[in-house]
Amino acid sequence: MSRLAGTGLLPVAVILAVTVLTGCAAQVPKAALRLEESTLEVRAAQTRTMAAPSETAILTATIAVLQDMEFNIDRIEKPLGVITASKVSDADDAGEKATLFILDMLCAASMSGGCDNMSKARDDQHIMLTTVVLPSLGRPGEYTVRVTLQRIVYDKEDRVLVMERIGTPEIYQEIFDNLRQSLYLEVNQS
Amino acid sequence: MNRTALTIFALLALGGCATTTPLDISGAGTQLEARQIQTRQYDTLDKPMTMRSVVATLQDLGFTIDQADADLGTITATRYHVYTMRMTVTVVQRGDERVSVRANARIGEDAVTDAATYQDFFVALDKAMFLTLNRVD
Repeated sequence: MSRLAGTGLLPVAVILAVTVLTGCAAQVPKAALRLEESTLEVRAAQTRTMAAPSETAILTATIAVLQDMEFNIDRIEKPLGVITASKVSDADDAGEKATLFILDMLCAASMSGGCDNMSKARDDQHIMLTTVVLPSLGRPGEYTVRVTLQRIVYDKEDRVLVMERIGTPEIYQEIFDNLRQSLYLEVNQS
Repeated sequence: MNRTALTIFALLALGGCATTTPLDISGAGTQLEARQIQTRQYDTLDKPMTMRSVVATLQDLGFTIDQADADLGTITATRYHVYTMRMTVTVVQRGDERVSVRANARIGEDAVTDAATYQDFFVALDKAMFLTLNRVD
């Protein structure tokens, strides 16, 4: 190796040696399944306990809210209280498109070629939702509802732009406000 | 080591990654080893309460549930965050008082085989089971 030092090939040899030793094995991201410190706060934002006359009433009210929010129900496993729903919606952003259009115009004017910024504009988003509705352990007679949300945003060429968990507490608060209203309607209609 | 040797070394290094597409049905690990790192036994909660804790753990870790079956004790969930991670967790009643929980995970195209990642999952599950046991929603 000392002979390589003078030739300037040492860094190349080191990189190759690392490639050989690590092989092509994929590295599991560290802490992929480790709880984050904010877990309890997130859990609290995603969870509400509410009174309902029966399990069927609160499940029906929950499904109605998901329909109100234009989700489709993918699966329900009633003994576990699990409802899985999803929707594909428009992720177009007029402001973003205007910016990318101007960039394309500037690019075309400079005749540098490859002016396809518009294809990177947000197109649609796939939103996945899980709701778990179960009798409360802490408050007998009441039900605990927990909602979790994720989304994938695609560009005009169907490339993934964003994959994320949705953590904004206000979004969850809005869902629970709608659920309380839906439960009220459900109880008073029957 | 001269340039020729380095070139051969480079070809070997890069060539190692190129393969014909193998039919990957059985996976790469040994059956017994995988079962050991992916499984824990619990005698604290029954099967329904363990499943409740598993669902809560998956939600704590940012997954959404794709499919769940209370009878068969199986839950499959996916997390879309930087990379796509998919997990299947099975809860099986062993005798009257013991419940066995097995988890397996994939990230993108690769199976998760390192013990530390599964250990982290079971640490998270222990916490959720503690909350369930103490009737905290």
